Amino acid sequence: MPDFALTSEQESLRDMARKFARTEMAPHAAECDRAGRFPEEIYRKAYDLGLMNLNVPSDYGGSGLSLFDQCLIVEELAYGCGGMTTSIIANCLALEPILLAGTPEQRTRVLSPFCASYQLAAFCLTEPSGGSDAGNLRTRARRDGDHYVLTGEKCFITNAPHASLYTVFATGDPNLRHKGISAFMVPRSAEGLTPGKDEEKMGHRASSTSTVRFDGVRVPASDRLGAEGDGFSIAMRTLDQTRTPIGALATGIAQAALDHAARYSLKRETFGKPISEHQAIQIKLANMAQSVRAARLLTWFSAWTIDSGHKGTLESSIAKCFASDAALHVADEAIQTFGGYGYMKEYPVEKLLRDAKLTQIYEGANEIQRTVIARELLRDYA
Amino acid sequence: MEIVVCVKPIPEAETRLRVGADGTTFDAEGVKFVLAGYDESAVEQALLLKEAIPGSRVHVISAGPSPRTDEVLRASVALGCDLATCVDLSSANSAADPIAIARALASALATVPHDLVLCGKQAGDDEAGLVAPALGELLGVPDFGYVVDLRWDAARKLLKFQRWGESGLELWEAPTPCVIGLQQAWNDPRTAKLPAILKSRKAPIARAAPPAGPTSPSSRPERFELPPPRLGARLIEYKTPQEAAEKLVKLLREEAKVFP
Repeated sequence: MPDFALTSEQESLRDMARKFARTEMAPHAAECDRAGRFPEEIYRKAYDLGLMNLNVPSDYGGSGLSLFDQCLIVEELAYGCGGMTTSIIANCLALEPILLAGTPEQRTRVLSPFCASYQLAAFCLTEPSGGSDAGNLRTRARRDGDHYVLTGEKCFITNAPHASLYTVFATGDPNLRHKGISAFMVPRSAEGLTPGKDEEKMGHRASSTSTVRFDGVRVPASDRLGAEGDGFSIAMRTLDQTRTPIGALATGIAQAALDHAARYSLKRETFGKPISEHQAIQIKLANMAQSVRAARLLTWFSAWTIDSGHKGTLESSIAKCFASDAALHVADEAIQTFGGYGYMKEYPVEKLLRDAKLTQIYEGANEIQRTVIARELLRDYA
Repeated sequence: MEIVVCVKPIPEAETRLRVGADGTTFDAEGVKFVLAGYDESAVEQALLLKEAIPGSRVHVISAGPSPRTDEVLRASVALGCDLATCVDLSSANSAADPIAIARALASALATVPHDLVLCGKQAGDDEAGLVAPALGELLGVPDFGYVVDLRWDAARKLLKFQRWGESGLELWEAPTPCVIGLQQAWNDPRTAKLPAILKSRKAPIARAAPPAGPTSPSSRPERFELPPPRLGARLIEYKTPQEAAEKLVKLLREEAKVFP
């Protein structure tokens, strides 16, 4: 039986993340959003406090948290700023393939020095010609003696302009589809690796996103993760782990939207009374609260399932898909509660809608999540 | 230097307090206890001194009902304190009495080496401000309150600090041992790091018995009650200051009846 009563240890972790989100992140969220600024000073502080490499075991210098505890922290951070949270947790995504498929030697050689100081890593899977269709990669990994030569381009890569380490998925033969893909660790210093310029995004503007070009980048075979052809499976197993915290991130955005709307409804008066006394607004708030609670519980249930040793593909897809849809819906209703003010950039809720939108798209678009959910579901009926 | 910090668990600032059934305590059910702001400053000061004086150690002590004491002790350990001791006053009806708290702390200090005892200058809840001076008296050492920016003059073996006095900022020197009550929020208390928080959950907490002797408190609250609900404010609409003053005086006379 899952028991979602938090221990005092979990409360301490959550409180610490909450304090950081509300005192260090939130006060700069609007400014970073407006300017599209990557607040490195905040990310450095997050690193210093142990909020960055949450999934890396402490033996390698990370925080070594369970998925459940990661979710508690990610929700709090996202309450402060969704975009900053994306950049803070991008290391978890980029390092997960090394945790899953790296040899002890690779993990010690790469993770320990990486986690010993403030550094960013970037997960390089998506390409211009396909994101969800990850079996259809075009980036080539040609074997050359005891090296591979990587050639191609990745896009929408979080933290790419600032990263020192890239986990890259490339194919030895596109005709083999997902069976041809291998995974590699590539340092920023590798010759021929070039991050592109920062993309102008609708939301998550405190995060940095760019293309990464590989022009004949030579990677030692000792930096391949897993066996040749294991790459697709490594990528999917990585996403099985990191999908649930996206549910937590979306829940944090949704909770922020609900809090803004509820507080505003108590202050704003129409027809001689606070709008919180109008049933139309009460129904909105009640529906928003249901969405937030359900998103959180589905996220917690998914984390609990995976922490209990199960794969959790169905649970994590449901959590990510539901929570991100909920975040968009709740942010939308928060704007509606604010009326015209909600549409103004001077007020905080329109940013939440723009930030929520990405959670439906990244780390597996919700269409793919629904495909996965249906596939897992129908297995039980066949 | 052996530095002792005394800390008190107080209800989190956003807590909506309820008066307990006996009318002389508040209902602690579901209340989250945290380190008071003054105590955070004291812990930060202790850690700054520890970092400045090689070979120093910080021992944090809390007297009160466990487990709320343990929460603030662990929070202090997560921030960097080395040792933690709880004087468990669960059974004694003295947790709300500052003098009894000072006695409990003094009895624990009898077996704990200390060159310097730091406290918040007052608690963040009852704001009595009595524990630090009472502790100074009980230990027979000087005590100072409203202190900021405490430093150690290693050459002269003296403490140097500032005091926010009535007439302005005072500069002081004092010998050790002594008791010092710290002012709040002048030293930007640090945030505990995540691995330290995890480690602090497993840190040992020493248990000291409450002092023998009379357990009846030296003082006790007679009755707690919540403040009456506030009546809404009334805004006076006006075009000129004269009109505002006239309307106000009229209201004070005729409705509030402050003037005949």
